Amino acid sequence: MNEKTDQKTSRRNFLKSSAAVAGLSLFGMPSLVTAAPQGAIKYGTMHPLTGPYSAQGADQMKATQLAVEEWNARGGVLGRKIEWIYRDDQLNGAVGLRRAKELIEEEKCDFIGGTLSGAISLAVNEFAAKNRTPFLAYSQNDMALGSDFTKYGFDFMCLPYSAALATSKYAFTKLGKKWFSVTADYKWGHSILEGWIWQSEQMSGQFLGNVYAPLGATDFSTYFTRIMAAKPEVLVINNVGADQTAALKQASELGLTKRMKIVCTKTTLSTLKEVGAAYDENVLGGMTFYSGLRDKYPASKKFLDAYIKKFGQPVEPDGESGYVATNVLFMAMEKAKTTTDKEKIAATMEGMKYTLTKGPEYVRACDHQRVQSYLLVRGKGRKANGWDLADIVEEVPGESIIMSCADNAKNLPFVNVKLPK
Amino acid sequence: MFADLSWDVLVMQLFFGLALGSIYVLLASGLSIIYGLLDVVNFAHGTFAMLGAYAVFLAVTLTGSFAVGIASAVVVVAVLGMAAEFVLLKPLYGKDPLLPLLLTFGLSVAIPDFMKIIFGLIGKPVSYPEALSGATTLGPLTFSNYRLFVIFFTLAILISLWLFLKKSDLGMIIRAATRDNLMVQVLGINTSRIWSIGFAIGIGLAALAGAISVPMMAATPDMGVEMTMVAFVVTVVGGLGSLGGAIVGGLLIGVIVAFTSLFAGEYSNVAMYFCMAVILLIRPRGLFGERGRE
Repeated sequence: MNEKTDQKTSRRNFLKSSAAVAGLSLFGMPSLVTAAPQGAIKYGTMHPLTGPYSAQGADQMKATQLAVEEWNARGGVLGRKIEWIYRDDQLNGAVGLRRAKELIEEEKCDFIGGTLSGAISLAVNEFAAKNRTPFLAYSQNDMALGSDFTKYGFDFMCLPYSAALATSKYAFTKLGKKWFSVTADYKWGHSILEGWIWQSEQMSGQFLGNVYAPLGATDFSTYFTRIMAAKPEVLVINNVGADQTAALKQASELGLTKRMKIVCTKTTLSTLKEVGAAYDENVLGGMTFYSGLRDKYPASKKFLDAYIKKFGQPVEPDGESGYVATNVLFMAMEKAKTTTDKEKIAATMEGMKYTLTKGPEYVRACDHQRVQSYLLVRGKGRKANGWDLADIVEEVPGESIIMSCADNAKNLPFVNVKLPK
Repeated sequence: MFADLSWDVLVMQLFFGLALGSIYVLLASGLSIIYGLLDVVNFAHGTFAMLGAYAVFLAVTLTGSFAVGIASAVVVVAVLGMAAEFVLLKPLYGKDPLLPLLLTFGLSVAIPDFMKIIFGLIGKPVSYPEALSGATTLGPLTFSNYRLFVIFFTLAILISLWLFLKKSDLGMIIRAATRDNLMVQVLGINTSRIWSIGFAIGIGLAALAGAISVPMMAATPDMGVEMTMVAFVVTVVGGLGSLGGAIVGGLLIGVIVAFTSLFAGEYSNVAMYFCMAVILLIRPRGLFGERGRE
């Protein structure tokens, strides 16, 4: 009954107060122009907090939180505190894009980051570029290649083919030349397989065949008959997460771990834990970061100590990417002496050198790709204890597993690699 | 495509298909009993399978015995199921049939989240029991001992179930209540108790499926989602409410998935849905379903 008058009154009040604010701001404008921006820097990230990779998504979020808190404890960046918000992208493309929209348009984030799925990273990258917002991807993706490259997108893990090159080179040198692969049937799996096939041609490997498994496959026994018939020296597993856990467990069930070496191009702490004793000396996995590095790099020890102190357990490689990404963003702001000029900050990140979690690294200027080492770890099997699950057998330098700027711009040589049906 | 595959590969694929199908049979038969007896579409079926997997993990961690693990998984989860039925489902009987469906759907979301809080996001490992590891060779054929166990154990369970339903008094009452619930009540039998027992059996079968599956992967909070889907697909193919249908449907789908993996690996997940679509088109009540039960 009184709603209409209430509305009218409140509308009048609203108009009054808006006018007052407008008037004040008109007076205050000259000082606003010269004074430094006062509000917080808004950094928004998205991660798959639900779904099959929630353990890795959670680490992405936690590592970002650690980085933001460390910077805020030091007074923020150039006197401005960082306000960080995060969202769940549910490992779903449509949801991821919605979150990107929310973060940029509704939450008014100046910078966004995160994602675990390469495909989602590409989609968010495109959206961010349209909105002239720097996007720091934490995932293995093809953002650095060809037409997917944008001025505003940066990747802080690695290209899928880099993971393949690092692991395949080790395999063909130390484990055997005859190989068979099980590949998750989507873009990431395919990109990795391209890398393996190309390397195999370079190093006289013998590609015996490949089976594609759908994402989310839980029974691999039905794929193993082909593998056992082919008799490879090396079985290459190009999937991750629960799929990889199931594949490895069932490979051990069928005695495959005794008959051949198994190489997982990308592996995670959760798979190492879930597979247990079956992740033994015959199984190798690739990671961009592993806690064993603490004995080699003081930076690794420092990062791990801080992370474990805060969260109680070591970090997944996906989390370490987030830590580095967040740090590099704020370091770039300091170096560029601005927290608002996004183009200048992005330009400063190009070629930026740093030592944060491993040895000295840099972000390559031409394609905005973090150039970092790739580790080969070997399972400890029954000797695993707590989080001591694997030994690092090799750290492959980043420069040796990334193609030249010119090649990346055209996705060479992998665009010419023919994938099996 | 066929030329490069020798007969032993095909036989082994059949074997893997039957092992896979056995798990499907356990899932579908439980769902079928619950639907046949209580008219409840149990969206949380896979969730109880997941609980069975975690129960095995806990039991094996405490006692080191896989056998104890399976037994306790079935008993504990069946009791939990019975409790859920008594407290949550019973008040909904006689009301809108959508309500039990919504309830079980809610359980399928809430329970995994609860497990994530208690056990964390990383799955829990269960090793293959020593006694069942290794393989049995028959010429060029290599059969994993664990999968042999899966097939024969499921067979034993099904035979026990059949004997129970056909030969025991309680089994006879359950079959009667599935056929005509009102008549059974008129005869003076407390059908409410029968439903609880039937629900517990159905849940127990789901828990068994989860328990047997767990060494092949890991106990994760979300593992039940796919298992629920599988249970439904097989039940649709076999016929809602038909135990024979669950068995035939489960084994058939298992073998189809196995051979799809062999020839077109990337379609192995899709294969079972394709089967379901075909069945729905040509025989909507399922292979052994009763008319009017669609």
